[in-house]
Amino acid sequence: MKDIIIKGSRDSYIIPSVNFNYRNGICELSGESFLEETAKFYSPLLEWIREYTTKVQKPIVFIFKLTYFNTSTSKCILDFLHILKKYEDNGGDVVVNWHYYEDDVDMQDDIEDYIIDTGIKINLFILD
Amino acid sequence: MEKNKEKAKVLYDMYSFASQNTIISYTGPFDSQVLAVLAANIEYSLSKNPRIRKKIFKIFIELAQNISYYSLEKLDAGDGNEFGIGILIIREFDNHFTFATGNIVDSKKISPVIHKCETINLLDRDSLRQYKRKLRNLPPGIKGGGNIGLVQVALTANNPLDYKLIPLSEEQSFYIINIKIDK
Repeated sequence: MKDIIIKGSRDSYIIPSVNFNYRNGICELSGESFLEETAKFYSPLLEWIREYTTKVQKPIVFIFKLTYFNTSTSKCILDFLHILKKYEDNGGDVVVNWHYYEDDVDMQDDIEDYIIDTGIKINLFILD
Repeated sequence: MEKNKEKAKVLYDMYSFASQNTIISYTGPFDSQVLAVLAANIEYSLSKNPRIRKKIFKIFIELAQNISYYSLEKLDAGDGNEFGIGILIIREFDNHFTFATGNIVDSKKISPVIHKCETINLLDRDSLRQYKRKLRNLPPGIKGGGNIGLVQVALTANNPLDYKLIPLSEEQSFYIINIKIDK
C-alpha cells in the first residue's frame, strides 16, 4: 500500500487536502471540498480505506478538518463512515475525530446526522 | 435613431435593476473558471460577515452546480465539455440578503424539481434534516435521489424556497429560484 497525499487547491475546483498514512493509520481530510466530479476524486480514497480495513487491518484514526463541503461530498463522507463502522463492527480499532469551528451550527447538525446515520462514535474538537 | 434610443433605455433599465442593492450579478456560462472567480468574489464581498459569507458560499456552490448541469442552454467549451448558461444575482437589503438564480429548463423534466421544492417548503428544520438523510442514503441512480442540493440550500438559508416557472414554449421554461438569508 502507498500513502495518499494531495495538497488542497482552489484553482478551478476546490479540492481538500488529503493525507492518508498506511504505516501509522492516520488519515486526514482537511480544507474545503466543492468539486464538480466528486466521485472521481473520492473513489480512490474510498478504495484505499477499504483496502486498509480489509488487508492491513491495523488501527485507524480518521480526522476530519473540513470547513466547507458540498452535498455530493457529503455522500462520500457517509461512505467513509460506513466503511469505518463496518471495520469497527468486525473488531477493527477505529477512532473518528472531527474538528469544526465553534460557531458553525450547520456543521454541528451535519456531524449529528452522520452519527445518527452510521451509529459511529465521532469525537468533537473545536478548531482555533 | 429611435431604435438606438430604445436599446439604450432597455440597457439602462437592466442596469438600474441589476445594480440596485446588488453585490454580485452574473449572466453567462457556469464553467469551472467562472465558478472560481464568482466564489472568490463572494468571499471578498462578504468578508465582513463570516457567518453570512459561509451560508451564501454554500448556497452558491449548490445552485451554480445545478445551472452548470441542468440548464438547457449550454456553452460548448470545445473540449468535449458543456456548461449550462444562466443568471445569478446576490443582493443585500437592510435585514437580509437574497440569492437568485435563473436558467432555461426542459418543461417536461422540471416537474420533479418543482415537486421537491414544494415538499421542502412543507417541512420544518428537523423534518428537512430527516429528508436530507433519507435522500442521501438512497443508492445512487434511484429516482428522486438527486438534488439533495435544494434541501441543503433550504437548510442553510433557514427560509423557504421561493421558486417560479415561466413557460417560454411548450418545451422550454425559465426556472427561477430566490432564497432569502436573514442577517
